[in-house]
Amino acid sequence: MIVAERKPIDEIIGFVKNCKKILLVGCNECVTVCYAGGKKEVGVLASALKMAFMKEGKELEVEEVTLERQCDHEYLEEIRNIIDQYEAVISLACGVGVQFLAEKYLTTPVFPGLNTSFMGVTEESGVWSERCQGCGQCILGQTAGICPISRCAKRLLNGPCGGSTDGKCEINKELDCAWQLIIDRLKELGRLEDYEKLIPIKDWSTERAGGPRKIVREDLKS
Amino acid sequence: MMVAFQKGADGVYVVGCLEGECHFLTGNLRAKKKVEYAKKLLDEIGVGGERLAMYNIAASDGPRFAEVAREMHEKIKAQGPNPIKGATLNKKAA
Amino acid sequence: MTVTQETKTINLTIDGQQIKVIEGASVLEAAQQLRINIPTLCYHKALPSYGACRLCLVEVSQSGGRPSLQASCTYPAQEGLIVKTDTEQVIKTRRIMAELLLARCPDSDEVKRIAKELGVEKIRIKPKHKDCLLCGLCVRMCHDRMGRGAIGFAYRGSNREVQPAFDIQSDVCQTCGACFSICPTQAIKFEKITKNKPRPILSEYDSGLRERPVAYIPYPQAVPKLAIIDEEHCVSLQTGECKVCQEFCEAGAINFDQKEEILKLDVGSVILASGFKPYDPAINDTYQYSRFSNVVTSLEFERILSASGPYQGHLLRPSDEKEPKTIAWIQCVGSRNTHVADKGYCSGVCCTYAIKQAMVAKEHSDTPLDTAIFYIDIRTYGKDFEKFYNRAKDDVGVRFVKSRINNILPGDEEGDLKIRYTNEAGRIAQEEFDIVVLSVGLDIPQESMDLAQKMGVELNNYNFVSTKTFEPVRTTKDGIYICGAFQGPKDIPETVMQASASAAASSSLLSSQRHTLTKEREYPDEIDIAGQEPRIGVFVCHCGINIGGVVNVPEVTDYASRLPNVLVADNNLFTCSQDTQDKIKERIEEFKLNRVVVASCSARTHEPLFQDTIRDAGLNPYLFSMANIRDQDSWVHQSDKEGATEKAKDLVRMAVANAAESSPLYRTKLPVIKRALIIGGGIAGMTAALNIAGQGFEVVLVEIEKELGGMGRKIHTTLQGDNIQNYLADLIEKVTQNEKIEVLTETIVVDFSGTKGNFKTALTVGPAMYHREVNHGALIIATGALEYKPKEYLYGESDAVKTQVELEDILSREESRIKEWKNVVMIQCVGSRNQENPNCSRVCCQQAIKNAIAIKEINPDINIFILYRDIRTYSFLEDFYRKAREMGIHFLRYREDEEPTVEQEEAKIQVTFKDLTLGREIKMSPDQLILSAGVVAGDTQELASILKVPLTSERFFLEAHVKLRPVDTQSDGIFICGMAHSPRLIDETISQALAASSRACTLISQDAIEVGGVVAKVDPDLCAACLICVRACPYEVPFINEDGVSEIDISKCHGCGVCASECPAKAITLSHFEDTQILAQIDALLEAG
Repeated sequence: MIVAERKPIDEIIGFVKNCKKILLVGCNECVTVCYAGGKKEVGVLASALKMAFMKEGKELEVEEVTLERQCDHEYLEEIRNIIDQYEAVISLACGVGVQFLAEKYLTTPVFPGLNTSFMGVTEESGVWSERCQGCGQCILGQTAGICPISRCAKRLLNGPCGGSTDGKCEINKELDCAWQLIIDRLKELGRLEDYEKLIPIKDWSTERAGGPRKIVREDLKS
Repeated sequence: MMVAFQKGADGVYVVGCLEGECHFLTGNLRAKKKVEYAKKLLDEIGVGGERLAMYNIAASDGPRFAEVAREMHEKIKAQGPNPIKGATLNKKAA
Repeated sequence: MTVTQETKTINLTIDGQQIKVIEGASVLEAAQQLRINIPTLCYHKALPSYGACRLCLVEVSQSGGRPSLQASCTYPAQEGLIVKTDTEQVIKTRRIMAELLLARCPDSDEVKRIAKELGVEKIRIKPKHKDCLLCGLCVRMCHDRMGRGAIGFAYRGSNREVQPAFDIQSDVCQTCGACFSICPTQAIKFEKITKNKPRPILSEYDSGLRERPVAYIPYPQAVPKLAIIDEEHCVSLQTGECKVCQEFCEAGAINFDQKEEILKLDVGSVILASGFKPYDPAINDTYQYSRFSNVVTSLEFERILSASGPYQGHLLRPSDEKEPKTIAWIQCVGSRNTHVADKGYCSGVCCTYAIKQAMVAKEHSDTPLDTAIFYIDIRTYGKDFEKFYNRAKDDVGVRFVKSRINNILPGDEEGDLKIRYTNEAGRIAQEEFDIVVLSVGLDIPQESMDLAQKMGVELNNYNFVSTKTFEPVRTTKDGIYICGAFQGPKDIPETVMQASASAAASSSLLSSQRHTLTKEREYPDEIDIAGQEPRIGVFVCHCGINIGGVVNVPEVTDYASRLPNVLVADNNLFTCSQDTQDKIKERIEEFKLNRVVVASCSARTHEPLFQDTIRDAGLNPYLFSMANIRDQDSWVHQSDKEGATEKAKDLVRMAVANAAESSPLYRTKLPVIKRALIIGGGIAGMTAALNIAGQGFEVVLVEIEKELGGMGRKIHTTLQGDNIQNYLADLIEKVTQNEKIEVLTETIVVDFSGTKGNFKTALTVGPAMYHREVNHGALIIATGALEYKPKEYLYGESDAVKTQVELEDILSREESRIKEWKNVVMIQCVGSRNQENPNCSRVCCQQAIKNAIAIKEINPDINIFILYRDIRTYSFLEDFYRKAREMGIHFLRYREDEEPTVEQEEAKIQVTFKDLTLGREIKMSPDQLILSAGVVAGDTQELASILKVPLTSERFFLEAHVKLRPVDTQSDGIFICGMAHSPRLIDETISQALAASSRACTLISQDAIEVGGVVAKVDPDLCAACLICVRACPYEVPFINEDGVSEIDISKCHGCGVCASECPAKAITLSHFEDTQILAQIDALLEAG
């Protein structure tokens, strides 16, 4: 899932400080699960914004709506009939949702309510961590299911750097060294020989280096 | 809790059973965390997190309940009215 | 009036309105049917019309005919008649009539009222100032309805008068008072009519402090709340005349032919619960109760304090209805006194009720009130009662004077009373009081004694039902059980416990017949309210003076009636009374209500009652909302009446907002596991186990120690002399041999889950500590308590210092040692009634006296000194206190703030204390010092936290309601008994154990219980399947189903709402506590501010 967290309220207020009527749009997918942009957070933010405005002696009308997903046209269509009533939209989706919304409704300014952080997992209730960077060339098959690109601070592909101490990363002592994890795991699996196999120089063109990416499946395209 | 402040409450407090004595096991601990989160948010928007509080009182402890009510009353009185009300009022007065 | 086919009807027009009446009706009656107001004076529904006062004049005409003025009471309705009641002519003439009447009786309030209503203020002729209007109501009533004719009209014209024949006191008069009550001008003088002295009928409920009518409702909360007719005073039932009430009862409910019926019932068991009567102080009138009207019994004073009492809750004294400034209570009236009426026992409840009355009186009094309680010993031995006593003494300022009062003298001022007494210093003092309350004891009425005799049930020497220590609810006759005060003086919680206990004993006997006479309660079909706008009815309760004395209830009611969606608002003296339930149902029907709000007391105690009421009227019970304007308002804001009224409005407004958002909910059935788990294998646990098994259910009995028996193993005899060890051995034998009981020793509870009817308890069993899970429907906590281990008085340092329990061991094994002792000192209240443990341990006084008597019997020459604060030998135990004193055991009182001290003086110990009679220090060197160590709770905290059952501040388990639910806990299906609840004697422990068993069996004897209602529900369209609810639920109920959304099993859901509060998609709501409901309440609360 895409993990995000709410922007500081001041920053959000900054976007809409001159508005009188805004629309808050939540998303019932990833950001609901990571407790950043679901219906509940939309309500909390709406309440907080209203209070912040009232404190300044101003009034802010906030309409709340939570869409099933903000990364699909059809769901975004649901606000077509109402969007013109608002001076601004704050999207509580990930960056994808914010952009798609902004692309669709050109006349209304759209602002992000969240900082989109990473693609990750729920480690436990209230704790999320990164697992994937979408490099477009998955090597998890060789690395015992542990991704050195997302989990090694240096994105090293062939073993740890010299800074790996007691299984921890030199960047942050709290952080496990991804390569230590990979080696331990390979050992457990009896596949330590895979560690010997060199991973060739990675073609980063499938990641950001090749510019914005796109996938087309002809069989599905209309 | 947020709506209460938004509607103009000067203070809000939540009362739960003693920790470890919740009829619903951990409900009071969860409530406490929710209160903490909301306090931060109130600080962030300048309403003031100290206007919100959570107390744990034993079901049998009437005197403590009354004491807490007085304590909270004094605390909120000292802080004056909810700033969102004040601003609206000032505006109306002006 | 019912119009049927057979009766001939007549049509007429009154003030333009058509009306159909039966032939023979008067124009007045026709107008009354149309609710047209016509003034009357001489008219009475129960009497033939007379046409004397002419106030009821109306204009009548046949169509086209000439109108004429006629008295409507005598003018018959005729076909096509046109009646006008408000023409200028009619009004003008009525005014003249009223003026004439006013001229005759210008002093009569009723005549003045009517005249004023008609706009007559001036009298243009000379007023005659007569009492009697000559309306004839009295004469007609006496003759026509009472069949007497004791009075009639004498003389003619302006000399006309009402008199008995020849103006001589009549022999015919039956002093029924009908003439008096019907006379509009209070002109009837009984002494002119009869030689008899009329006497009022005094209200039994108000202890004779006020009058009551012949037809009456005994008291506001009577069940059923129906009027009864006092046969002895009813003219109709005595002579066959009168029957006036029948004319007025629109329901036609009065039936004079009702006779006492004798019913024969075949029953397998009988429970005696006939209670007590208050001791009548007039019998041996020590305190001149019959002479001084300001000497009242405690029950009379209770009525004086009551909102529904003679002074509507204002604190007034009877003689002159003056507000008292000083009130005294005299304790032990008809108790603890073998010289007067042989009441040698202690009534057990009077100390606590006197303290309560003194505190309430102080609260009720607008000016500072001095209250003094004259006592011998203060006996607040019940659970947490000592704290109440301390509060009265230290915080509220009730005075406690230790002195037995011998008589009451008249005071210097009229109505005042003087008490002379010997104070603790031995000097004579005297004080004057406005009211003296006699704290009368509990007595057994003659009827109860007769009943017992008829049934062959033996009574004890005080005429209470005789029972044995180990069988406290069993009478001497098999199958007949006893509970309540007829068994012995006791307070409400003990009475309620014993009631359940007798039910348990009886149920055990009759278990094979269980449910054979059960009828299902039937409710009407539920009204479908889908799509309806909220139509709310609000009922605001006075709760006597509880709410009404502080909150302005009519104002709140009026306020409520103007709230959105509210169609009707009413207020009631007691909303929980039966007639109010009927009224609520009527209102639901009348106004087609679809929501009901009651503003009264706690939803915890009363919501089920009101839910049942609306269900009976076809509404779903969840369409009911409650505002607690008593516990949360009037009780806590007594000094701020206006503020309390405003708060009541806030609370009502919130409840109305909540009701508007509420929706119907439904419950489903869940099977009950017919097994009980009991924690604690002492006397309480074993007694409960045996009874549950006897009622036919399985029991798992868990004991932490190796052996069963608990505290009972250390105590050898009771004060009454019963052998506890023999009893215990027998009990253990019965428990271990019973095939329905499984005993698990050396076992502890490690986990607990589930809901009533379906609990699961995890245990670690035996020395091997294997894990075991038990499924059960009910749980009983019987974990007992411990003897306090003294830290004071050299305990543990000197061999010469022992506790009472240790002394018992010596008594049972080393008699020879006792023979060597010459002096023994016992100190009471060690580890009780102090800062650390404010409560009375209840058992130590009995223990001390029991052991002192035992020592004295072994060694008659010994000196025993018992140093005490109050001796608390309540009920029949008082006999043993008396016996101990007669045996020469010395009781010496010490003050709380002057505790004895103990020092080691070479080989011996020295006890120093201040004797209050001598007023000086006394030193003694006893051979043995015995400490009456109190009772402290066991190590209950961990168990309480596993079971989620709250504890008191002294770590005893907390009951659901101190008085009314003494063995229930706040968690349904979990019960408490024995010392785990509070310190108590063995017979009380056994009673309570039986009570807990009774409560548990009430649950597990059902095949299924209803679940659902207040549970969480998932809206699958909103659910993001995020798993947050799955992780958050403390009971692990939600799961992601085949459709990929969260699902909650309502039978497992506890309705705690954690999932609803955590759900980030707001897909989960907690029924009955939905966001819309809560937000509506917040809105309602804050809209005013």
